Amino acid sequence: MSAVVQLLLRRLGISLIVLVGVSMLVFGIARIIPGDPARIALGPNATVEQIAKLRSSMHLDESIVVQYGHFIKDLSRGDLGMSLYTNRPVTLDIAEFLPATLELVIVAGLLMIGIGLPLGRWSARYRGRLADHVIRLVSLLGVSAPSFVWAVILMLLFAFFLPLFPIAGRISDTYTIERVTGFLLVDTLWAGNFQAFSNALWHIVLPAFALALSGIGQAARLTRANMIETYDKPYIEMAQAYGFSGRRIANRFAFKPSLIPSLTIIGLDFAAMLGNAFLVEAVFAWPGLSRYGVAVILRKDLNAIIGTVLIISATFLLVNLIVDLLIAFLNPRIRHSQRQTS
Amino acid sequence: MTPVLAIENLHLGFKGYTGYTEVLHGISLSINPAERVALVGESGSGKSVTARIILGLLQEVRGATIRGELRFLQHDLNSIGTKHWRDLRGTRMSMIFQDPTSALNPVFTVGVQFIEVLRRGSAPLSEAAALSRASALLQSVSINDPERVLQAYPFQLSGGMNQRVMIAMALANNPALLIADEPGTALDVTVQAQTLDLMNQLVASHNTAMLFISHNLGVVREFADRIYVIYRGRIVEQGPTAAVFNDPGHPYTRALMAAVPRITGGGIADIPDTSDEFLQPCVNHGSAL
Repeated sequence: MSAVVQLLLRRLGISLIVLVGVSMLVFGIARIIPGDPARIALGPNATVEQIAKLRSSMHLDESIVVQYGHFIKDLSRGDLGMSLYTNRPVTLDIAEFLPATLELVIVAGLLMIGIGLPLGRWSARYRGRLADHVIRLVSLLGVSAPSFVWAVILMLLFAFFLPLFPIAGRISDTYTIERVTGFLLVDTLWAGNFQAFSNALWHIVLPAFALALSGIGQAARLTRANMIETYDKPYIEMAQAYGFSGRRIANRFAFKPSLIPSLTIIGLDFAAMLGNAFLVEAVFAWPGLSRYGVAVILRKDLNAIIGTVLIISATFLLVNLIVDLLIAFLNPRIRHSQRQTS
Repeated sequence: MTPVLAIENLHLGFKGYTGYTEVLHGISLSINPAERVALVGESGSGKSVTARIILGLLQEVRGATIRGELRFLQHDLNSIGTKHWRDLRGTRMSMIFQDPTSALNPVFTVGVQFIEVLRRGSAPLSEAAALSRASALLQSVSINDPERVLQAYPFQLSGGMNQRVMIAMALANNPALLIADEPGTALDVTVQAQTLDLMNQLVASHNTAMLFISHNLGVVREFADRIYVIYRGRIVEQGPTAAVFNDPGHPYTRALMAAVPRITGGGIADIPDTSDEFLQPCVNHGSAL
């Protein structure tokens, strides 16, 4: 069995265990916090009989272990239960709201990698010179303010004082796009409507930047630090002694070994954006999972809370899995150490 | 005969927080075509910085001040500009490093690194052509299964194997000058002897001049045609190997030779770390040629 497949299977197994743990934890916490979900759902005018009926249909009158058993049985059929807030299956709700959040996080992640890594590389190559100082200052700024602060600042500067970008939303109301994946950037292209695509892109710029700024700073700082360490290695001196240009050494010989340690942290940052996205979405009125998540938490909508948390955990694990595979792909020492143990 | 390399009155100093520190105090040396010249001295005597000045690497370090004539083939290295100097590296002059395993990039296969080096030489070279050339070069350094080595990463090969790869890479573009900075010091003695032998044969067959940097007098005696002894940034003695070994004229050279442990026993002679005698002017045995 190939080393990468073996690694993939092992990581999948671990992810599954983590997911089960998360489900138990959230399930337990949601049941322990005070307040009767059935009573909250039915409102103040509900009769005792109505509440009792809803409680028994939600299995709330049984022991927590039995309740968890019901939950797992339903989950295996892809059923997360009904949301008491929207009166629809939780899976439907999540399918509706998750793509908007994922779209935002993916664009922000791409910005982080596409801007942060080159900035760090540039900074390390021109270490101690003006470009390095400027990049370090900017990335420190990016890291030191949380993303919702950036969201407010960017919105004020580039949507309000200087109206270059829209204030809120995913796309202008004038466009009606048939929903295929829920990712507007994909759906507009699918429909062949490039005007709508550029409009959606125009809408995502500010929220994605607000979400990405701290990640960009982090990625730049890490890449710089790792590359400066790499620059002291004998193989870089060897590359210099063989007359490779400074640009080639920076972009190839020093960058690849430095990327491996950076990537782990970048992966974690990427996953952390899922959480930060909640606040950025709130600022930009982005119709993502955050509005839904906050609403269901406040209403103690058990099924919806558990569903939302599970989906976010699963996404987090998926991102980590992808990062691990990428690292294995980039780092021959990992790939080959796996082979030896098999 | 025009020398491959001629250094005249080379000074090197570093500007630091504590002021200016001079490291090389005007050293002169020359290497003729196909000649093997050793630069011998203790740690910190200025051997390795000299090598890095010849390659033009130290010139890019801020705070380093370098004065002196540097001629390589027909080029006046001080006037050709960094770009042109860089073009000479890896093509007309190349270098072998002390620890072969850490001098090869850990995240690229030997084959990929070899192709990069070959492409420094002749301009457009297809991957297949480069690989078959690399394969032939590896065979010339007695690697019997070049295909496997080309696909391997440096950490999968032994130190001796990596050293051979380094030698093959260094000679890949037929340089006029090969600088070997303490080659194989990181390897065990038997492997070191084997690879040095190999390097010696290859240098002879390529007609490459070699600057051999070492503190190991035994190795130097065996492989060098001519010796420069360097002490604290000054050349203290120079001449043909036999002449220097048979009749060491400078007190430092005598001390250096006395410091070599002998298999016949008797311990190491009592040698002072420093002595005013060591600062006596250079002893010149003349040229063997």
